[in-house]
Amino acid sequence: MSTIRRSRPKPAPSSTSGPRVFALLVLLAVVAGGTWYVLSRRPAPAQYLSVYYTKQSDGTSLAAWRVSTRPAQAGETDAEHLHNTVLYAAVQAVAGPPSDVAAVRFPPGTHVQAVSVTGSTATVDLSKDVAQQVAGTFGENGEFKSLVYTVTGVPGINAVQVTVNGATLETLPGGHIELDQPLHRSDF
Amino acid sequence: MNWISRYTVRIFSAVAAAAVLLAVSVLPARSAAALSFVLGGQTVAFTHVSNSGGVTAVGVEDPSLKKLLGATGAVMTWKRGERYVLITTSEPRVISFSVGDRAYEVGPLSAQASVAPYLVGDEVYLPLDELLHALSYALRSDGSQMVMQPQLSTLDVRAAGGGTTIVARAGAPLRPRLVEDNAQKVAYEFDGVGTTLAPQRAVNAGGVSSILVSQSGPARSPKTLVTVLLTPGAQHGPPRNDNDRDFAVSFSGAAPAVGSAPTPPPPPPQMITPAPAATAAGSATVTGVDAQQSQDGLAVTIHVTGDAAFQWHRLRDPDNRFWVDIQNAHLATPEQDGTLADPGVSLRVKQIDGQTVRVAITLAGPKQLSVNPATTGLVVSVGTDEDLDAARAGQGTIGSVVATTDAVAPVTPAPADTAGGALGNPDELAPSSYVPTNPKLIVIDPGHGGSDTGASHGGLNEANLTLDMAGRLRAILQARGWQVRMTRTTDVDVYAPNDSAHDELQARVNVGNSAGARMFVSIHVNSFINSGPSGTTTYYSKAGDVPLARFIQAALAASLGTKDDGIVKSHLYVTLHSYMPAVLVETAFLSNPDDFALLDSPSWRQKVAQAIADGIDRYAQQYPVSGSAPQ
Repeated sequence: MSTIRRSRPKPAPSSTSGPRVFALLVLLAVVAGGTWYVLSRRPAPAQYLSVYYTKQSDGTSLAAWRVSTRPAQAGETDAEHLHNTVLYAAVQAVAGPPSDVAAVRFPPGTHVQAVSVTGSTATVDLSKDVAQQVAGTFGENGEFKSLVYTVTGVPGINAVQVTVNGATLETLPGGHIELDQPLHRSDF
Repeated sequence: MNWISRYTVRIFSAVAAAAVLLAVSVLPARSAAALSFVLGGQTVAFTHVSNSGGVTAVGVEDPSLKKLLGATGAVMTWKRGERYVLITTSEPRVISFSVGDRAYEVGPLSAQASVAPYLVGDEVYLPLDELLHALSYALRSDGSQMVMQPQLSTLDVRAAGGGTTIVARAGAPLRPRLVEDNAQKVAYEFDGVGTTLAPQRAVNAGGVSSILVSQSGPARSPKTLVTVLLTPGAQHGPPRNDNDRDFAVSFSGAAPAVGSAPTPPPPPPQMITPAPAATAAGSATVTGVDAQQSQDGLAVTIHVTGDAAFQWHRLRDPDNRFWVDIQNAHLATPEQDGTLADPGVSLRVKQIDGQTVRVAITLAGPKQLSVNPATTGLVVSVGTDEDLDAARAGQGTIGSVVATTDAVAPVTPAPADTAGGALGNPDELAPSSYVPTNPKLIVIDPGHGGSDTGASHGGLNEANLTLDMAGRLRAILQARGWQVRMTRTTDVDVYAPNDSAHDELQARVNVGNSAGARMFVSIHVNSFINSGPSGTTTYYSKAGDVPLARFIQAALAASLGTKDDGIVKSHLYVTLHSYMPAVLVETAFLSNPDDFALLDSPSWRQKVAQAIADGIDRYAQQYPVSGSAPQ
C-alpha cells in the first residue's frame, strides 16, 4: 500500500485545489439537493376550507363547517390543483350540510356539472335542477350566497360565475337574482 | 437501400415495443372478467372492471355503476381528464376520491383505501369495496350469484334531555314495519336491507337499555330486524320517516340503574378504516381498558399483548369525540360502554370487525390529548386544558416495535364554525347621488303577473297578492300627494307573456328609469320548500338603497306582527338596475301557515301598504331630493 502511494507522483499544491473545490461543490450540491428532496417530500401542511350554508332561520346569516382539502399531488400543476379545489368547494357547497341542519338548500337534484377557472373567477356549471325554485327571494339568495362564500374561500378566487347546464342566464326563470355576471361576496 | 431497411427495422421494432407496452398497461386491466350481480331484481354487470394486486376496481363510466348511483340517489361529478371523482349522496354526504391518492373521504371522515384510484386509458377506476361501503352497499353471494345489497349502515343514538333518539340510515329507502311493541321492547323490521352493524349495542340511557340488530332472509331479499330493549316505564313516540332514507324514533323513560350519567356515548362514525398496507405482523389481543383520573386529567390505558398498528382520529369542537382503532387485534374482554370522569364523558370499547378493536372516548370539550404507545399497549392522556388546534389524527404501532404517533393528514374536519355574525352586510347609510327628474313620482312594482304567477300555495298566488297590496299602496300614496306609476295594474306580464326573466325585469326597471322616478318599490311574497321560514324582509342591492330599505323595514316590523328578518343585501335584478333608490319587499311567506293566514287577510294586506307608505314618507323627510345628508 505504502509503496503504491509513494510511487504516485506527488501532485503540486496548485493542481490539488481544483479537485478539492470540485469535491466540495459536489458535496454541497448533494446536501442541498437532499435537503430540497426531503423538504419537498414532507406532507404539505393541512389546508382547510370553510363550507358555508345559509341558515333557514333568516335566510341570510351564514354558518360554516370546515373540510380538509387535498394537498397537490405529484404531477398536479398549480392550475390543475386550483381547479380541483374549486370543484371540491363547489360540490360541498351545493351538497350542503347534513340533512338535519336547517339550511337553505338548492332544489333537489341540483349538482355541479363542471367548474373552470379564469383568472380569479370560478365558473360553476349547475344542473338544470337549480331552476326548480319555489319563487321566493329567500331560497335564491341563500343558495347563491352560500355557494359564492364557499368558492371565494379558495385562495385565488374572488368571484363566481354561475351557469346552468352550460349556459349563462340573466336570471333563473321567474327568478330574482341576476346571474349573467360573476357574483362576489360583496353582492350579498 | 441498406440504410432504409435498417431504419425500417428500427421503426418497426419501436412500434412493436410501444404496442407491447400499451398492451401491458391496458390489457391486464381490461382482462378482468365482468362482475355480474343482481340489483333491484335485475341482473347487471360491472363491465369496466380492473384488478390490481387482488383489489377489484370499477371504472367511473361503467353503466351499471351509474345505475347503482341512480338507485341510491347519488350524483357523480367527474369529467374526462380530471383527477377528482366526487359523489354526492342523497344524505347528503360528499364522497371524494382522487387519482393517485389512497386517502378518500366520506362526509366528515377520511380513510385510506386499499389501493389509490388509478387511470385506465383516461377513465378513473375506484376501489370497489371502499366505494360500495361509502354508498352503504355490499356485494353478497346468494349461492349462485352476487347480489348488490343495500346496507343499514348507520344507527345513530343521540341522547338529550332524558330521552334517546335512534336514527337509522341505509343505502336504500327504509320501509320499516313495526313487528313488536310492548313494555319490554320495540322492534322494527326493514325489508330489503342487510347490515354490517354489530349484533348488540348497549345504550343504557333515555329509556333504552340496548339495541339488537339481526339480519335474516336470503341475500336477494334480506331483512334487518332492529330490536330496542327498553328500561321499565320507557315510552316511545311515533317514528319519523321524513325522507325515506332517514328513519328516526325517540324514546323517553326513567334513567337506567346502570351508569350515573345519562349521556350515552354517541357512536363513532360507522366507517371502518382499512388497515394500512404495512401493519405490524401477527395479531394482537386487547386484554382490557381502564381509566384513571388524576389532578392532570385522565389516563385511559389500553392493554395490548402482541404487535399491532393503530390509527386514531378526533373530531373538532363542538363534537369532541376521539377514537382509536387497534388493527389486527381482537378483544378478549366483554365490550365496554360506560361513563368517564371529567375531562372525559364516556368510554366505549368494541370489536368493530374481525380484526379491529375500537376504543372511543367522548371528551368534555376540546381537551388536550396525547396518544402514547408502549410495549404493553397504548395510553391516551386527556388533559384538563383545552387545545383548539390539536392534531386530528395519528397512527403508530404497539408492541415489540413501538413507533411514535405521527400525525397524518388531517382527516376529520369540523362540523360548524359559526361565521354568521361576522359576515354582516356593509350597511353604510350613504344617501344616493341619484337626482330624480320627477321627485314626486314613486314606481310600485307588483312582483310577477301574467304567465308568471310566482309562488303559490293553498289557492293563493303571489302575482295576485302583490297586485292587491300594490293597489292599496298606490291609493295611500296618492292620497298623501305622491304621483304613482305601477309597472302593471292587472294580471299581465309587463314585457310579454312567457318572456325571458331578463326582458320582464328590465321592462319593470325601465318604467322607473325612463320616468326619472324618485323611488322604486317592488312588492313580493316569499316562499320556501318547507313551512319553517317565516317573516318579513326588505332586500336591496346598492349602497344608495339602504336608507329607504331601513325606513320601510322598520315600519313593516312595527306593525305587521310577522318575524322581523331585517334588511338583506342581495344581487337582485330590479334593485340593481334601477338608477334610483330601490327595494324589494318580501312581505311574508306563503309556505308558512301563520304567514299564510296573514297574507290571506285583506286587513293585514292593508297594513302592509300602510307601513310601506309610512316608511316612504319618513325616508323622504330624512333624505330630501337634493340627495344631501339628513336634515
